[in-house]
Amino acid sequence: MSKIGSAIYEIHHMDTIASREQWVNQIHPLVKLVLTIGYIAVTVSFHKYNLVGLIGMLVYPLSMFLLADLSIKDSIKRLRIVLPLVCFVGIWNPFFDHTFVFLGDVCICGGVVSMLTLMIKGLFSVLASYLLIATTSIEKICYALRLLRVPKLVVTQILLTYRYITLLLGEVNQMTQAYALRAPNQKGIHCKAWGSLTGQLLLRSVDRANEVYESMLLRGYQGEFGYLGPQIKMRKKDWLFFLFWSSCIIFVRMVPIVTIIGNFVGGH
Amino acid sequence: MSHIHIDVENVSFQYEKGKPILDRISFHGAENDSIGIVGANGVGKSTLLKLLVGLHLNYQGSIQVEAIPVQKETLPRIREKIGYVFQDSDSQLFMSTAYEDIAFAPRNYGLPEEEVEKRVVSALEMTGINHLRDKQIYKMSGGEKKLVSIATILSMMPDIIIMDEPSIALDPKNRRNLIRILNSFEHLKIIASHDLDMILDTCKRTIIMAEGRIVCDGPTEEILSNQQLLEDVGLELPLCMQKRS
Repeated sequence: MSKIGSAIYEIHHMDTIASREQWVNQIHPLVKLVLTIGYIAVTVSFHKYNLVGLIGMLVYPLSMFLLADLSIKDSIKRLRIVLPLVCFVGIWNPFFDHTFVFLGDVCICGGVVSMLTLMIKGLFSVLASYLLIATTSIEKICYALRLLRVPKLVVTQILLTYRYITLLLGEVNQMTQAYALRAPNQKGIHCKAWGSLTGQLLLRSVDRANEVYESMLLRGYQGEFGYLGPQIKMRKKDWLFFLFWSSCIIFVRMVPIVTIIGNFVGGH
Repeated sequence: MSHIHIDVENVSFQYEKGKPILDRISFHGAENDSIGIVGANGVGKSTLLKLLVGLHLNYQGSIQVEAIPVQKETLPRIREKIGYVFQDSDSQLFMSTAYEDIAFAPRNYGLPEEEVEKRVVSALEMTGINHLRDKQIYKMSGGEKKLVSIATILSMMPDIIIMDEPSIALDPKNRRNLIRILNSFEHLKIIASHDLDMILDTCKRTIIMAEGRIVCDGPTEEILSNQQLLEDVGLELPLCMQKRS
């Protein structure tokens, strides 16, 4: 499969995972969205040298991976493009931050600790976002965004952008395949054809987007957000799920649980 | 006169100045009419259909759907009455599953969820695709997508259905199914197609277009058996009428 073909497959695969009948997938989307936002906010709020405390935050993504029956290995594989970027963010810290901090009894350069903290914050945030989209369909996420009073224009943009990505990639795939079939000895696309291919892609994408929009208009779409399905009611288990995880996240933030466990295991 | 009718009077249209696509088109369609629009490529069939649902508004002449003129202010009312099936199903389907797509229109019209469910089930039954209910669109074949596209308009319970090349991408069995669905629709239907055999099976009346004009409008059997007329406009007899050499 071509790179573009596999990208389209990955997007569709995420849709399939999100629409499974797993217990976590059935939790109210608003609960999962608020928990994800809250989790990221709390994760980011850790001090740059509080590496040990931050590790405790692993409890949420780890448990969710198990509850949702998702493979961590596959997830890391899917996130391989984003993760280097996340790691790159903190890479300069050791050069600029020369403070010394103690990790237990070990004295380490503060720059290294803050770099690791930043990387782990990024990693945890990306994992939490991945968990959200792997357990909640885009329609349900948009529904939850509307419940949070995000303007309908913004929510519609998110929904349609998600839908158009596959259409756009499909067009790119078709064009590159047609090119490759008539240029069998070339690797990739010759720079002379870049301009016309990009222009064609733009025109085709605009045409396709226009047709999809026309189709929506013909079926009563008037910019109103009435198409995301029935109202989803909050059930008891949704509340319990929310209360449990929000308490856990706050607890891990307030109590240095990793240090306590470490002291306990180490016999201090 | 029944309330279901379309009246097109002297309609001309052009995308670019000096290059008319449609030239003084006039015809009327009433309840129980089934009109096939045929013609060679590029004669303006799809454009004409798009004008009927107000996708292009800068036309000259008059188009009225159930006595409502097709203009910007009246589009929501008009589009509630017409179900339009696009030539390319990928343009028609944009939600993740068949159910979501078929429910799109009833939900937009503010129907309660029980009614939406009823309509979706009914549309799925009419098109014989109950088994596709929760299937994701991207996993469907071209034929399945076409049937879902048709179901998306049936759930609107329209007075008029308009279809642009509906039999494209259908295998013989699904094509037969399509003909059955079209024949079971009792109101007004307008179908543009190159599939003259399908037009013969589904439409009592046929309009032939050439160079943006209507060159003939009459009973399908009569028109589609006129070899000379068909050849003059770049068409051929339907396959079922052609002698095997």
